[in-house]
Amino acid sequence: MSVSPAIDAAVRAILRDTLGLSEQRAAALADDTPLFGAMPELDSMAVANLLGEMEDRLGFRIEDDEVNGDMLETFGALARFAAAKAQA
Amino acid sequence: MRIEHYGWSGGRETVLRFGPAHGPLLVAVLPLFEEANRTRTFLVRTLRLLAERGVASALPDLPGTGESALPSAAFRPFAAREALEALAGGTGERCYMLGVRSGCLLDGFVLAHGRYHLAPVAGERLVRDLGRVRQAEAGGRERAGERWFMEDRWQEAPGHVRVGGMLLSAEALLDLSLLEPFQQADVPRRVARLATDAAPADVYLQGSPLWRTKEPQDDPVLAAALADDVAAWIAACEG
Repeated sequence: MSVSPAIDAAVRAILRDTLGLSEQRAAALADDTPLFGAMPELDSMAVANLLGEMEDRLGFRIEDDEVNGDMLETFGALARFAAAKAQA
Repeated sequence: MRIEHYGWSGGRETVLRFGPAHGPLLVAVLPLFEEANRTRTFLVRTLRLLAERGVASALPDLPGTGESALPSAAFRPFAAREALEALAGGTGERCYMLGVRSGCLLDGFVLAHGRYHLAPVAGERLVRDLGRVRQAEAGGRERAGERWFMEDRWQEAPGHVRVGGMLLSAEALLDLSLLEPFQQADVPRRVARLATDAAPADVYLQGSPLWRTKEPQDDPVLAAALADDVAAWIAACEG
């Protein structure tokens, strides 16, 4: 699944806004940047806010059984998840 | 800013007043639960800016929320709506409502001349988000279903769940899950959303989703844009 520049930018902005990341940190997120378990701001509570904001901003609904460790493992995995949901 | 009190059938609560003592009154309603803590500074800033624009406003504690004498477990949507009606009806002024997020679910009993809803959310969505938080607090291993709050495994005491540090009534969550923001064709309503929001709105404002941040934050640019739009909307409604 390829990720459009618009989805990439949206996921970056959602992480910035919900986790309180600086513009620099958000811009530096790479495809293989680890997220859950590696980024201290992204605890399980923050995941709940992150998912809610993705739904608001990208206009899709995330079912609970779609949420797993794989989609949150790296920035690239999260962006590909968002791209697949937006396309569905 | 003035600290006053108002009465309703279940007791007495605090209300912050801003701006002129008389004239059309804007009654502001914070989002429920944790989102209230994240947006209070922003909303107070907005009401101060509205006061500078000549708009009188009130920001009440509702029963079981904020600094209310009643605990969070006593919060009931019906009582909150009744308290808002008592506050608005008791002023003798023409009232307008300003709801933020789930605050838009509670203004249905007020005989308001108009409603301004910022990023309104349906009750079903609010309760689903709370389920995600509860699930996260439990370590994320078990899935919280649609009526999670009615299940014994999520309840801390019979009929009660603890979410985000607050003990809440399952009955209240069930009531909330059925509520939608008030909408009636012959009553003016203006919906504002963030420019990043995909849902339909009458106006889109530049700003950040303060209700979803980890720590309480402020957004002076959003507050100024909101104050400008609310002041213009009330002026238009007043004709």
